[in-house]
Amino acid sequence: MQQAVTEQDATAPPAPADLAPCPAPLGAPCPTPLGAPDPSPLLLFEQASKWYGSVLALNQVTLELTGGITGLVGANGAGKSTLLRLATGQLRPTLGRVSVRGTDAWDWRARRLVGYCPDVDAFYEDMTGRAFVGVMARLCGYDRREARRRTEAVLERVGMADRADRRVAGYSKGMRQRIKLAQALLHDPALLVLDEPLSGIDPIGRQELLELFQALAGQGKCLLISSHELEALEKLTNHVVIMARGRVAAVGTLAQIRGLLDDHPVSVRIDVDAARAVARRLLDLPDVLAVEVDDAGLVVKARHPKRVFAAVGRVLIEEHAEVRRLEPLDESAHAILGYLLGGSGRT
Amino acid sequence: MPAQTDTLLRYRPWRGTLRGPGWAAAAMARASVTLLARRRLYWGLFALVLLVFFFFFYGQYLVVWITTQTADDTVLIGGVKVPVANFTKFLDRLALNGTDHTFGNFIWFEGYVVVILLALAGSVLVGNDFHHGSLPFYLAKPIGRWHYVLGKCLGIGIVINLATTVPAVALWVEAGLLYDWQTYYFDNLDLLAGVLGYGLVLTVTLSLLVVATAVWVRQTVPMVMVWMGLFVLLRLLAGWLVDGLKADPEWRLIDLWNDLYLVGLWCLQADPATVRPQPQPAYWQAAVVVAGVCGACAGYLRRRVQAVEIIG
Amino acid sequence: MSALLELENLTRTFGAFTALHDITLSLPPGRVGLLGPNGAGKSTLLKILMGLIPPTSGRGRVLDQELGGDRDSAGNWRLRRLIGFMPEAEALVPGLTGVEYVTLAGELYGMPRRDAQRRAHEVLSFLELEEARYRRVEEYSAGMRQRVKLAQALVHDPPVLLLDEPTSGLDPAGRDAMLRLVKTLGADHGKSVILSTHLLADVEAVCERVVIVAGGRVRRVGTVAELCGRRDDRYRVRVDGDPAGFRDDLETEGVHVLGEFGPGDWRVAVPRGWTNLAFFKLAEVNGVVVRALTRDDETLEELFLRTVNA
Repeated sequence: MQQAVTEQDATAPPAPADLAPCPAPLGAPCPTPLGAPDPSPLLLFEQASKWYGSVLALNQVTLELTGGITGLVGANGAGKSTLLRLATGQLRPTLGRVSVRGTDAWDWRARRLVGYCPDVDAFYEDMTGRAFVGVMARLCGYDRREARRRTEAVLERVGMADRADRRVAGYSKGMRQRIKLAQALLHDPALLVLDEPLSGIDPIGRQELLELFQALAGQGKCLLISSHELEALEKLTNHVVIMARGRVAAVGTLAQIRGLLDDHPVSVRIDVDAARAVARRLLDLPDVLAVEVDDAGLVVKARHPKRVFAAVGRVLIEEHAEVRRLEPLDESAHAILGYLLGGSGRT
Repeated sequence: MPAQTDTLLRYRPWRGTLRGPGWAAAAMARASVTLLARRRLYWGLFALVLLVFFFFFYGQYLVVWITTQTADDTVLIGGVKVPVANFTKFLDRLALNGTDHTFGNFIWFEGYVVVILLALAGSVLVGNDFHHGSLPFYLAKPIGRWHYVLGKCLGIGIVINLATTVPAVALWVEAGLLYDWQTYYFDNLDLLAGVLGYGLVLTVTLSLLVVATAVWVRQTVPMVMVWMGLFVLLRLLAGWLVDGLKADPEWRLIDLWNDLYLVGLWCLQADPATVRPQPQPAYWQAAVVVAGVCGACAGYLRRRVQAVEIIG
Repeated sequence: MSALLELENLTRTFGAFTALHDITLSLPPGRVGLLGPNGAGKSTLLKILMGLIPPTSGRGRVLDQELGGDRDSAGNWRLRRLIGFMPEAEALVPGLTGVEYVTLAGELYGMPRRDAQRRAHEVLSFLELEEARYRRVEEYSAGMRQRVKLAQALVHDPPVLLLDEPTSGLDPAGRDAMLRLVKTLGADHGKSVILSTHLLADVEAVCERVVIVAGGRVRRVGTVAELCGRRDDRYRVRVDGDPAGFRDDLETEGVHVLGEFGPGDWRVAVPRGWTNLAFFKLAEVNGVVVRALTRDDETLEELFLRTVNA
């Protein structure tokens, strides 16, 4: 199986950034934000590995982000949080290099470019939201006036300005998430790293957060979001990084990743009248492996998605079929993740 | 025909009658003791409890042995004849003779260990429930809040009794064997009742107090600090006020362990004049304080357990 | 069989605040999704259903067991015996092994100790925790924690399971496993399930019926198919290849592009008398391939947002 990320031989010497044979991420949805094109990518993992004692958490990860929203998915314990902590410079790779715009992510200067929204609720519960963000602003090194200005600006941006004077202890999960997001935005970072920002939030809060993320991406920020909620993530972006067992299993859009999984034939549901006639025609196609007919229509299993879809279209036209639905059954992030992680999706 | 693993793992219904919530409290007590027994610290503290117990156990034996075997003997120390009985003078303070003060003193000394033991028990058994959000687990069951408190108190009560009442009863049995058992047991049944009464007072008061403080502070170290404050600082303060400043003996009432001791001696029907150090407040005053503490703890628990949000 | 829930004019106030307002609701046994934004009164409703707080006014029954009265009354004990509750909070007892934890739960429900032990083993193996039975619960992974929490709700074989956010914190595989188990329990073993969650996809996967609560009132009750609007003229279409010409042709034919999800991925409204084959014909003419074509019916999420924002 060809992977979207090349994994180099472990013995190869680390190459300088500009020479590293790092493939460009497939179809990153947004180009580098406006302004002069910066030669070095916003976030770059070069064969980064991380051990905790003898536990290998991250295994030779090579990854490049330039902009837009990227989803990070994988099972619990796949190394997502480690990857995010390396990106934010909280951890240092045991081997390899992680850089932000060419600066080592471990370097404090790199952190000016990175905003981090952790998955845990780490607040001073007795503070008000405004006071908390204000303290964080002061920690960023801004003087009192600037800190206050920025606090107000970010609270406004995350839609918490009117609720920020209540104690954090009384906040709902959605409000906590906004406050965490606010403190990550204080220094106007180019890269925002969000660890499980959607967990436990009610659908309305989730909708609002997704809109907020989209707005931030629209302003040229690069967002790296880990989430278990694939449906929500799919709405936000189709560019995903899939992790399994400490490695990046695939990077790209869902369709591209699906295309790489040659060993899993595509299943397509076609709801159509005269299903049997269409099924007979489809079975004649060389790429089609099986067709199942049921009450509503049929399900085709086939290799080579690209050729098959074109052929299916032609068959439908020739048969004058009344199509009600044509839907690939396994192009969702969920299905792809299941395939990548093998059968049950367990690691 | 389902596959074999399917049959093995298939869900099977259960039909049976469910019992009343009293049993639930017993189950909680059992689980509580299991949880404590899994702590190494608990066994360390229990070893101290046993140390005190054996000191009293063999002390009693030694005193009897010396008085019967070496009644008027003397030994030469630096050419001076010293009666052997003098060597055990220091034991007199402990009254190792199977009387009311033997049991009072024993439980008094066990108290030092029990206080730490209970701080540990409180944080493990009750503090954890708040800390880890286990209360919904208990309170969503068909039991009342009081069954929860009862279950925890029972668990703690077992620990308290293992460290105080049970060894004290063992001392009573031993004393009977050392003296004339035919008369001792019959003459001193009221002492046994007193020991059990003391144990009951200790159990009720301390378990309520443990649960209440654990609900309040929840973690081990702060819990130990609160207990130290309650039992050590207040004792020092009481001693300083009464013995140092010659204030009213009622000031000793702020020392809760002393209050329990007084109530215990009341149960053992000891003469108030023999209680050391003198002066002491009256028994009934101590009993009022103990009852007040119990009431306050129960009231606090009622309020706190009621306010717990089970959902969301 | 008696109704799972029967609520008549149920109201609950906290001081001046009305958490539940005149709720009348009747549900047959089955799997029900309980949806609502934060502060909608969902948790108050759950507490009333478990007999933890009485309603201020109105009446209700859960499987013929009357609601109301003090939480520690015998009636409410009987009520809680009918319900296996899986809380959202961690709710583990650290230090106990899985099987001890579930046994303790069984005993708390009132099972004799031996029965509770046997049943704990059975339930844990049913929930695929067989190997982890003798490990301490605090060492469990997120997925195992959720399953052991389900086990403690299931140990006395209650007719009703009340699950509060059973999939929170689970990864996709763990979530699938949990939902599969819940669905099996409902569909094959006759348990009624009340599933309270923020994840609408969970409800779609497991539940037959949906109850949407907002602002202290029940806004929608029914099956997903009944509630979600059917939109015969809306489609979502996705094509591979350069979509510009295809789009122009679509618009000439009277198709409105309502929204774009990505290049060549649109939500469209088709004109009257449209046949879907036209999509394929226009695609062939323009050298693109139709990858997906689905009717853009209202999703549960859209229904939810529409309901709650109304």
